[in-house]
Amino acid sequence: MQLLLEQVVNGCAIGSLYGLFAIGFGLVFATLGILNAAHGTYASFAAIAGYYAATSAGLPFIASTSVGVAAGAALAVMVDQVAFQPLRHRKAGMIGALITSIAFWMILDRLAGLATGEQSLSFPAGTYPGGTWMVGSLPLPQMQVVAIVSLIVVAAGVHWLIAHSRLGAAMRAVGWNEAAAQIAGVNPRLVILATAALAGATSALAGVLAGISTNNVSASLGEGMLLKGFAAVVVGGYEDVRGAAIAGLGLGIAEVLSAQYISTSMRDAITYALLLGFLVLRPRGLFGRVSFVRA
Amino acid sequence: MLNLQGVGKSFGGVHAVSDLSFAIRRGSVAGLMGPNGAGKTTVINLITGLLPADRGVVTLDGASLAGLPPQDIAAHGIGRTYQNVRLFSGMTALEQVVAGCFLRRDTGLLASFLGTPAARRAASATRACAMALLDRVGMGHRAHVLAEALSYGEQRRIEIARALGSGPKLLLLDEPTAGMNASESEVIGRLLHELRDAGLTILMVEHNMRLVSDFCDHVAVMSFGRKLTEGTPAACMAHPSVQEAYFGSKDNAPRC
Amino acid sequence: MLWLSDWWAAYQSTLAFSMVNAFFALSSYAVMATGILSFATVAFAAAGGFLGVQLLAVFGVPVWLALPAAALAGCVASVAVSLIFLRLESHWLALASLALILITRILVLNSPALTGGVNGLSVPVEAPLWLLALLLAGTALVFWRLSSSWYGIAACAVREDPAVASSLGIAPKRVQLVAFAISGGVGGLGGVLLAMVLQFISPETYYINIAFTMIAAVVLGGSYHWAGAIVGALVFTALPVLMQALVPAVQDVANGLALLVIMIVLPRGLVDPRAWRARQAAK
Repeated sequence: MQLLLEQVVNGCAIGSLYGLFAIGFGLVFATLGILNAAHGTYASFAAIAGYYAATSAGLPFIASTSVGVAAGAALAVMVDQVAFQPLRHRKAGMIGALITSIAFWMILDRLAGLATGEQSLSFPAGTYPGGTWMVGSLPLPQMQVVAIVSLIVVAAGVHWLIAHSRLGAAMRAVGWNEAAAQIAGVNPRLVILATAALAGATSALAGVLAGISTNNVSASLGEGMLLKGFAAVVVGGYEDVRGAAIAGLGLGIAEVLSAQYISTSMRDAITYALLLGFLVLRPRGLFGRVSFVRA
Repeated sequence: MLNLQGVGKSFGGVHAVSDLSFAIRRGSVAGLMGPNGAGKTTVINLITGLLPADRGVVTLDGASLAGLPPQDIAAHGIGRTYQNVRLFSGMTALEQVVAGCFLRRDTGLLASFLGTPAARRAASATRACAMALLDRVGMGHRAHVLAEALSYGEQRRIEIARALGSGPKLLLLDEPTAGMNASESEVIGRLLHELRDAGLTILMVEHNMRLVSDFCDHVAVMSFGRKLTEGTPAACMAHPSVQEAYFGSKDNAPRC
Repeated sequence: MLWLSDWWAAYQSTLAFSMVNAFFALSSYAVMATGILSFATVAFAAAGGFLGVQLLAVFGVPVWLALPAAALAGCVASVAVSLIFLRLESHWLALASLALILITRILVLNSPALTGGVNGLSVPVEAPLWLLALLLAGTALVFWRLSSSWYGIAACAVREDPAVASSLGIAPKRVQLVAFAISGGVGGLGGVLLAMVLQFISPETYYINIAFTMIAAVVLGGSYHWAGAIVGALVFTALPVLMQALVPAVQDVANGLALLVIMIVLPRGLVDPRAWRARQAAK
């Protein structure tokens, strides 16, 4: 029982990171209509920026995390303006943007490799809260608590933003029909920039936290996040932030438990079996609705 | 020939079409009129199966079309055009019409895979047929021009030729002269005359009163998804509730 | 003449790989021509590749029999997959096909009896260049024939506007099913040819990198004409080799930049029938 509880907490912590990443990835997909292959590199670069902020500049945890998040947001805005903006008025559609995002993936992946000297770095002890709290006999590593709390706060915040704020209404409008939104007085350029920055920041936070808790700050960090975040978006549905968050959590828990109780080699198999099951049985995700299809 | 019985469709609580019934006789030209938003295009979409009806049945020559996908309804012999011309971008005028001739293909997939002589003969026969249709709408000389390079009126004519490609018994025209100048409308008008004389049954949605009274044997007028009245064009236009629907009140109506 | 033979020796394998990539690009072009973005070709390639190699290595089946068997395997896999996929909307289909690649890899890893698992399989037969060229020419011939047949026109109509196509009597899903079957056959064939060029296959052989290579090749070459897929595959395979020779340290960065620039300057690709026609019309 003790072991099970510990593993569930582990799973929640890992799953929170997947969920956080998936929120950003899904936001770009839902609002901007872009399947962004470069999204994982935002997480890598955020972790790298956070690492150097903590080690070279000696910043404390909150500050170095903020540096990483800011770096991820800035990178997301830059990629959007260089890779996606030129295609927006040409009806190049999803495929065109996918190709330019692959181009950026290749470039940024390589640059991340150069930035870490082709190795996997880890945050030195003392640059992040490394202690463990005890709840009864259940150990709660502080970083895991940070991850779970981050997911809850970010998911609630982004959900509120999209569902209830003016910016969110504008984002939904642009995602639905950019030209119509513009006529209705929404500045699409600004909304696109805000969405890209928000999505970049969310996934960057996942990147920094994952870099710390997995002791892996490298180009491969983002690639792993991209695959899991992608799975979470498919299972949870990209139209609703809560779906991605819950699916991310679920995937994390399923992964940890199957590694513990079934076998390590089956860990990914279970993730992707879940993925396939959802695709067949619930093709629009947890919170998906049947959309209005124009004849 | 075509019969609508109590057809209804709503979008999330808005009744786009409710309890609509009317019939079209073979060889006649029927008109469907009504102010913008009356549900005319929805009726066309319901007949062609692009939208499933919530209630009621549509029958063609006694056969129910309920639940059939659009391609099967097309195969029953219904062709259509669109309110905003919807041609395939990147295709020449001739290719549009060849696509319209899809139902006339008579070679199997495997034959076209291998490019057998029979398949090639069939393909050139289809092209000849498409060319003849283009000539019929007076667009033969523009056969190899990309559709998006054609003028609006020419695009409309291509669209009609494409709809004729499947050899329909019934042709549905959604505002065939919308957005056209007088001379372009004239050309379309002559074309419709020829089609009617050739025995095609036509249902058209139209605002152009002159066109309607010139062509239509029978008119139904809709407002807010309901049928206000039906009858001869002159009788319909004189009907008080029609004048109210179009002009607000009887007094605002132009005197003629 | 010596430089010519040197050049030949150095670039022979590039040529072989670009032809193999052309099969993958044609496979994804087949579905893209009906308006579907799908990465599932990689899974079809894996089906064809592993079956073909098993036939060649374990059962000693001759090449001329193993190749059609691989194509058939890809075809069967694609029809099965498309029955699920064609129920999804376009964005979801793209995501699902990416997921299929991940799932395929797991399946391959976990059935070592059929696939050699992590250790992979070595391939006893090599594909000579002439065979690749011959098969590619044959496949291109089929695509050329199809493009001017009723199927080609129907595919184009479905891609541009499925609703209008359906009101002309063209069943969009049926056309797309055929497209998937073609994609599967060509992908399966490409899968076994890749194995015969590499002489070794493992779960990593049929993975995301192929998916992105082939889509990039199609879009780069032009997704509105079958020749675009072949041209794109050639350029996209030769580009890294060229970059390695020019700027070995940052070749990936250079590749990415080249891809980015080409996409932004030529969004419809190198082979664009609409541009030819517009030029023709202008004359």
